[in-house]
Amino acid sequence: MNTAATATKIPPSQHPYANIIYRLEAGGAMLPDTPENLMQIIGLYKAYAVPMDFYWRDLLYIAEQVFLDPLPFFKYFIPKEYLERHNHYAGDDADLRIWRGEATAHPELLEFIEKGELKMKLPRIFHHWWHDRINMEFAEECMRSMLWHRGMSTSVNQFDSYLDSDEYKANADRAIRAYFKGNPLMLGLHNAFPELFLEQCRQMSYYSNLGLFWEVMAPVFFEMSDLYDEGKIASVPDAMNFLVNGIFAIAGRPIYHHVYIRGECYEIIPKSKGFTWLYEAALPYVEAVFYRTSPFRGTKSYNAQAGQVPDDQKDFHYGVLYADKFPVGTAGIPPTLLAQDMLHFLPQYLVDYYQQYCRGEDDMLIQLAVSFQRSMYCVTSAVIQALRTALLYPLDDPNPKHLKANRAFFEAQMDRFLRPEARLRDIQNQNYR
Amino acid sequence: MADIVDIAVGAGSFQTLVTAVQAAGLVETLKSPGPFTVFAPNDDAFAKLPPGTIQTLVQNIPQLTRILTYHVVAGQKLTKADLAKLGTVTSVEGSPIPIDCSDGFEVKNATVVAADIEADNGIIHVLDNVILMG
Repeated sequence: MNTAATATKIPPSQHPYANIIYRLEAGGAMLPDTPENLMQIIGLYKAYAVPMDFYWRDLLYIAEQVFLDPLPFFKYFIPKEYLERHNHYAGDDADLRIWRGEATAHPELLEFIEKGELKMKLPRIFHHWWHDRINMEFAEECMRSMLWHRGMSTSVNQFDSYLDSDEYKANADRAIRAYFKGNPLMLGLHNAFPELFLEQCRQMSYYSNLGLFWEVMAPVFFEMSDLYDEGKIASVPDAMNFLVNGIFAIAGRPIYHHVYIRGECYEIIPKSKGFTWLYEAALPYVEAVFYRTSPFRGTKSYNAQAGQVPDDQKDFHYGVLYADKFPVGTAGIPPTLLAQDMLHFLPQYLVDYYQQYCRGEDDMLIQLAVSFQRSMYCVTSAVIQALRTALLYPLDDPNPKHLKANRAFFEAQMDRFLRPEARLRDIQNQNYR
Repeated sequence: MADIVDIAVGAGSFQTLVTAVQAAGLVETLKSPGPFTVFAPNDDAFAKLPPGTIQTLVQNIPQLTRILTYHVVAGQKLTKADLAKLGTVTSVEGSPIPIDCSDGFEVKNATVVAADIEADNGIIHVLDNVILMG
């Protein structure tokens, strides 16, 4: 490894993960750079991007159209205009073209919506009842994670504090009254309990936030998969650097919440607030979903006497970077929902790969979940490198003081993986599958 | 003497910054009596940003404004000596800007390449990096 450059300028790291820190200092990722790792992470980006293309569309549909429907029976039945809605970062009319493919829903997604895994053209409601569908509950769980971990990065995240402002309350109130116009029961409820629908509205704002976040990630992952197929992404650092550049390119896209009621647009969170994709969506998302989330019902006891669940939300460590992937497919393990979604869209090279290992096709759900964990370690590496680029110094900075600041930042990031649940040590080895 | 905007235009090495300030409609503000302390990234600083970053910001003016206002301290004319004493200043955007004068003159992760450029309505320090909140 080419770590000598930094290592000779500043003293060696005493950190237990010193080797990984040297790799980061040399421009690498937390994940070892092997062709096998690259194949797994890119394959999973592709498999993740297709359901994600559904998630972001449906999240925005719910935030903008379903809104406060008290009985949202059909919130997962995404209408045609949301499937045809142009992604802002794909297609010919993109704001900034990331994926060279089409701006409307991905063809594999459309085919799945039509025929499902039954491979039969049936009315959508039958596919839904047969549970032959995209597990949208997973996207909502991620959204709720962000909502429930509110207030975690108040220094730079202005979205959160805005949700408690008088301006937000006034905007929300206007939309709530318009939405329930002519419905004395709901309006009466709103007058009697003004916090009731306001909190629901905040949740809807998080639907919008996450939808706008994933609208960017889906084309990023599609493009990475295409570049890999063309041989233009040839190593794990290539993949990570593509993500770093993507993060910067889109950092300034606005995060907002618009609601459409009887054809009229209510700007609950206007674009003019200056909220950005990086600060108000991406960083809170990474913290809430990659690191924290909430304890799996199937692995931890919520018993207050048992003390298994930390008192402080900042100590939560149930995100994808810590998750135990072996019980995927069993009860009480939420990532199963996503794993099942991704199973439908695996590229052939990964299906062939998984068939050679463990129990072949039988435990493919677990094998792909472990690959997915590797891929998310690569994404987190990109976030760490992007933060280092934005807030600290270049890796080849000649000033030792600057290199020490970078080192301290990397060490602080690695400290989060010192707890035994972290899978950082496992992903260093290919036998973890 | 000239105001902050005139100095930036006249210097010639702030083309991206001037364009961004114009796009964000901040020209009048920076021509007002102020006073302001402006940390001005030069063209080389903007060139270091990965491709697409500026394009997205220029398409979204409120977001561009937010980044630009992070480079401005309002109500004060702070020289290098003042900043060295303060250690941290609060930007118009609202986030703090750490200053380190222990070894040269550093503003957050940027190095000041030209300090204490006086204008009618403020003072300019030229940075070799665009600084970002967080």
